[in-house]
Amino acid sequence: MIACLTIPGLELKAALRRTPSLALRPAALAPEPQGEPLLGPVTAAAEAAGVRPGMRLGEALATCPSLALVEPDAAGAERGWEEILHALEDAGFSVETASLGVAYFETRGVERLYGGLEPALRRALAAVGTEWDARIGAAGRRFAALAAASVARPGQTVVVADAELPQFLAPLPLTLLPLERARYEELEALGVRKLGQLAGLPGGAVAERLGPDGRRAWGLARGGTAARVRGRRPPALVAASLEFPEAVGNELTLRRALAGLVETALARPERRDRFVRKLALSARLESGGSWRRTLTLREPSADPDRIRVALSPRLAELPAPVAELRLELVELTEPTGHQLELLAAGAEDRSRLRNGLRQVRASTGSGSVCTVVEVAPWSRVPESRALLVPKDE
Amino acid sequence: MVASSRVAGSAGAEGRVAARFNAPRAARVEADANARPLEVNHRAVALVREEWRVVDRWWTEEPVVRCYFEVVLESGENTVVFHDGAGGGWYTQRGA
Repeated sequence: MIACLTIPGLELKAALRRTPSLALRPAALAPEPQGEPLLGPVTAAAEAAGVRPGMRLGEALATCPSLALVEPDAAGAERGWEEILHALEDAGFSVETASLGVAYFETRGVERLYGGLEPALRRALAAVGTEWDARIGAAGRRFAALAAASVARPGQTVVVADAELPQFLAPLPLTLLPLERARYEELEALGVRKLGQLAGLPGGAVAERLGPDGRRAWGLARGGTAARVRGRRPPALVAASLEFPEAVGNELTLRRALAGLVETALARPERRDRFVRKLALSARLESGGSWRRTLTLREPSADPDRIRVALSPRLAELPAPVAELRLELVELTEPTGHQLELLAAGAEDRSRLRNGLRQVRASTGSGSVCTVVEVAPWSRVPESRALLVPKDE
Repeated sequence: MVASSRVAGSAGAEGRVAARFNAPRAARVEADANARPLEVNHRAVALVREEWRVVDRWWTEEPVVRCYFEVVLESGENTVVFHDGAGGGWYTQRGA
């Protein structure tokens, strides 16, 4: 069986850990600073007052004037989700994370350990704890497991046998399918509102009308394929953080702090000479929210300068002054050798290069050889950073 | 650096004319429902390594709103594409 654990509104629950009193009041996750003014997940009290996730901010405040907006805590949500995945892994489940708040795992390997499917699922819920209102669905296929989790109540498990799958999926809404909004509207206009109605249509006709996405959705509405779950490799837990006495917005100070963090994290004995492939830089903001960016290096490296250079541009994206900066080495590789240059380029090479360029100019005409001149290396728009200037001598 | 024939031609005709380095090039990109690239210039995307958003020059008449994706194609090639939120369309770009 494939089990799917879901935690709806995980970002809001993570943000509410700082202000638990808001959990019982009408509250919603505030829109992202640079995005559209659309609400994130909302509390049960807000939902009772008519506020829905994805609603426009103005409309939501008009509907419920006492609505409290909770600052998103992206780093807190990532950390919370990582704690949950660790708890599941500690209980023996090999998890594959689909997105924040949705994870899959195979139960076959642990059923004997815990005495059957139901006890194994209960053990998984117990490992996550009651704080997050997790729920689990289990079925022979991934999409069916996700659908089962979507109808489960907090702390409940729903198991769907293969024989019951078509009847189980038929009354569920189309919103479970990964489709664009326009596609839902198109289907609704055609009178298709439930998975069973979509599954009952001929596959060729759906593909012709809705294209490849529609065809995929049609396949899912019929239960989807029995794709295997690939358990993730647990991330390395090497991190370093720096708390500032007062919030810092100056980029130079932040760059220096980052350099210190890189040195500290790389010097940790847990790294054991391994190279870094993926990093996460996060910050607790003065405004109360948080910020997080992950970066995969083109080549694994343990060179502090390279890592610092790769991470530094991210600091320019910080939306507010920082109270705490944290660096995590998320993925480490085994140590491997690096090929060094045998002979450094010398004066002879430069002279040959000059001669070569002179020949190119002579054969193709003036302006064919250019030099790159940096004009605004700090610019976030790549084509504004440098110009190609013809080099005529 | 040896410029492309297009840059060389313009420079030859008008003297020393600078061109933008790493200027975006229009690309044909198939994207999924979440606007993540599935195909770049008819080549399938094997992996999206990173994605980020650039919002700049919002105070001018030519604002920059781009969603960048660093992708690995099935051929093994690394490339960076972005969706232009201001003018629409997809582009590839080096140096991003």
